[in-house]
Amino acid sequence: MDAATLEITNAAAPAKSGAAQQGWIRVEDLNVRFTSRDEEVLAIDNASIDVKPGEFVTIIGPSGCGKSTLLNVVAGFIKANDGRVTVDGVAVDGPSIQRGVVFQQYSLFPWLSVRKNVEFGLKMKGVGRSAREASARTLLGLAGLLAFENHYPDQLSGGMKQRVGIVRALATSPQVLLMDEPFGALDAQTRVVMQEILTNMWQRFRLSVLFITHDIDEAIFLSDRIYVMTARPGRIKAEIKVELPRPRTAEMTSSPAFLAYVQQLRQLIREESLAAMGTELRDGALGGFATEVGPGGACTIING
Amino acid sequence: MLMAHRLNNLGGESADEPPLIAHLAEVTPIAPVSEPAAPRPDAITPRKARGIAPRTLLTWLLSAISLAVLITAWHVAVKYKLDFYIRFNNIPSPGAVFDDAANLFGNARFQRHVGLSLRRIITGFSVAAVLAIPLGLLLGRNRVARELIFPALEILRPIPAIAWVPMSIMLWPSNEVSIVFITFLGSFFPILLNTIQGVQSLDKVLVRAARSLGAGQLALFWHVVLPGSLPQVFTGLTIGMGVAWVSLIAAEMISGQFGIGYFTWEAYSLVRYSEIVLGMIVIGVLGLLCSGVIRLIGGWLMPWVARQNQETS
Repeated sequence: MDAATLEITNAAAPAKSGAAQQGWIRVEDLNVRFTSRDEEVLAIDNASIDVKPGEFVTIIGPSGCGKSTLLNVVAGFIKANDGRVTVDGVAVDGPSIQRGVVFQQYSLFPWLSVRKNVEFGLKMKGVGRSAREASARTLLGLAGLLAFENHYPDQLSGGMKQRVGIVRALATSPQVLLMDEPFGALDAQTRVVMQEILTNMWQRFRLSVLFITHDIDEAIFLSDRIYVMTARPGRIKAEIKVELPRPRTAEMTSSPAFLAYVQQLRQLIREESLAAMGTELRDGALGGFATEVGPGGACTIING
Repeated sequence: MLMAHRLNNLGGESADEPPLIAHLAEVTPIAPVSEPAAPRPDAITPRKARGIAPRTLLTWLLSAISLAVLITAWHVAVKYKLDFYIRFNNIPSPGAVFDDAANLFGNARFQRHVGLSLRRIITGFSVAAVLAIPLGLLLGRNRVARELIFPALEILRPIPAIAWVPMSIMLWPSNEVSIVFITFLGSFFPILLNTIQGVQSLDKVLVRAARSLGAGQLALFWHVVLPGSLPQVFTGLTIGMGVAWVSLIAAEMISGQFGIGYFTWEAYSLVRYSEIVLGMIVIGVLGLLCSGVIRLIGGWLMPWVARQNQETS
């Protein structure tokens, strides 16, 4: 680390004790309705969740269940119709620098270099150039991306872009990090590595994370608690406390305790997926494909 | 403050927390393997240096062949006075044109024609850009403004700039201003429409990202909307420059006393056939230079786009 970084580190040391208690997200009796073609659709129905300071909480559910909508309400991008959303007791009213957001699409500014992307929030805050640069460099160094600081986002791979996205959201020291399926667009291998990086980062930063995913293993591996959401309208169906030891390691994913959580969640989600597809899967859709077809292929059924 | 505290923590060595840095050090080297698309930091500059030499040589060679074929075909057609519906009887040969060129380019009157045309283009195009870009940004961003102003513009838009010539002569006090006005009109709408399009096609997630990073309305406009729509603005400028030249030449031929368009038309009236060809070539070269200048400014203002093209080419 260079001299500038050390300077910041030392100056900020006294703030340590006060920081621990911040970042309490509370969502109470939330309702969100959308109007599409003069028809009102209930996207979220009476959902209540909370994320305690320093806690890692995941919302899991079938696609289209409104979990991203819920995150967007907490982020302040969407207004709730009813209910209360507060962070540390203050009602959410629009986006704020206190709530960092990591999006599924990488959302890096293509016209800014990797470092300038990370600096963006600090610049908005009015932090001076050299302090900004030092902070961005430190964070990029931690994410193993310092060598790419002057590259443009389009020159990076998906995993690297998302690491920059996370680092950019962390640069302004938010109390809360909101992550909307951040690894959804990555391939399976990169994804697993990213989950490990994230869990280690979180272990150090100790901020409150609200994480959205539809990947069961990902949810268990990362979370302290998991909310399972139902399909249209989105309701909170179950809350599961994940009591696996910290720090989490890749080996844990094959432990009996981990697999038991997988089993439990899979059952809960399966019910929801079936409910969500209810209109598509009428008579015999699931059963239909279970029919013995034999070597004649589909022709046998169609002709015979 | 808070961040610095965390940074401090990151470097800390408390026994009960996992060594993040050590872990990252383990993970990072893996990244290029598990992410095959990842470019190495050093891979980009050498690539540029290595890739260009043989390729440009071939490009130049092919360009030279292309031009040689065109000029030879022209020469042959004139030499044998080809007459098959298209007539080459009165067309000057490339040699004759070349001989006249040296003469003409030194001629002060000719230089004045070129200078005047350039002045008209620069004035008309600049005024169009200065008006159309801010207006486009406003209309793209503000729905009320768009619905208020756009219908009026939609009625004027389909009218070609050349159709404005008589009206323009009546409207403006001098011939000069009316020609500049025609040039302005030609480039105004392409710039405006592309700017609006650029603002509206801006990825919404970028706006959200900026807002969650603390950008207010002004910062959002300056740091996100403007750079985000810049590539499309430059598309508009390039198209606008092309249309500006079309409009200028037509306007000069109809109502001018000076300018390269007038010069070309006059050459026809005075039966100076090789000057017609020279006029055409000069117009082409000037048009090329003007769009080259725009591309140059664009590349300079948008280094990230240049990088993208380099990657894909």
